[in-house]
Amino acid sequence: MEDIHIEGVHEAFFTPTVNFEVATGHCEIAGESYLEETSKFYARLLDWLRRYMSTVKGSLTFDFKLSYFNTSSSKCLVDILDLLKNYQNSGAEVTVNWYYDDSEEELEEVEDFILETGLDINKIPME
Amino acid sequence: MEKIDDKYDFSLYEYHNLLQQNILVSYKGPIDERIMTVIGENIELVTDDGSDKAKNKIFKIFMELAQNVWLYSAESCKTASGRKLGMGTLVIGEFGDSYTFVTGNVVRNSDIEPVIEKCEIINSLDRDSLREYRREQRRLGGDKKNSGNIGLIQVALTAESPLDIELTPVSDDESFFSIAVKIKKTVL
Repeated sequence: MEDIHIEGVHEAFFTPTVNFEVATGHCEIAGESYLEETSKFYARLLDWLRRYMSTVKGSLTFDFKLSYFNTSSSKCLVDILDLLKNYQNSGAEVTVNWYYDDSEEELEEVEDFILETGLDINKIPME
Repeated sequence: MEKIDDKYDFSLYEYHNLLQQNILVSYKGPIDERIMTVIGENIELVTDDGSDKAKNKIFKIFMELAQNVWLYSAESCKTASGRKLGMGTLVIGEFGDSYTFVTGNVVRNSDIEPVIEKCEIINSLDRDSLREYRREQRRLGGDKKNSGNIGLIQVALTAESPLDIELTPVSDDESFFSIAVKIKKTVL
């Protein structure tokens, strides 16, 4: 199993920066997410997580550091959170950190993700 | 000066004057991701009031509403490569302590009824119910029509104001549909 490293791009579409590490179980999605084929992009990340959960079976630390994501991306983010919740329910150690910028609206959105998925998410103000 | 074409009686001056009133950016034509990038950057530029708050809100709203025009407009053009681009109009104006962002496009009357219903539901809900509605809609499958709905909920939540919709019949089958949202400027 290999790491995923995707460098963020801000062009006509916005690709987030992605770093998923097998050895440490540290995963990060950062930057902006507005993609031409949203489901396809996130399917690769979801597949990586499923494989990690079934073969490596290690702990996971997930950092979300998104400054912008559109509503299509938010559906896929919920899919990731669901997967993390299931993994946690199965007894795995899962830590999720959500870095938000200084706005009430973003904080609300993280709170809604928590309500939506039942997952504990640490809310951390972005520096 | 001789007129180039007698049929061409469009006055650019009148058009310019019409847009003079508080309008910061206006665009009419086909929409795709490249045009969205350019207009998005323009909007960020003209709504920069020193704080990121209003600017970020308008950008988020713009991304969702412009995408709806691109994907759902009944009026469209095809690029050389065969890609279909929805046509529509985007306007951002500045009125006192707020900005108003408006998008409009031609729609088929048979398609628009559910969208209007969705807007009416959105406008009837308070913020907490609206957030619950967004959670519920996000849970529904990745149907193309549905992703437009969650976009509208997001717009209302971001703007913190209702969706001001207008439907003007243009023919038996089609109407011009517009959505206007007000975004308060950042109070410094």
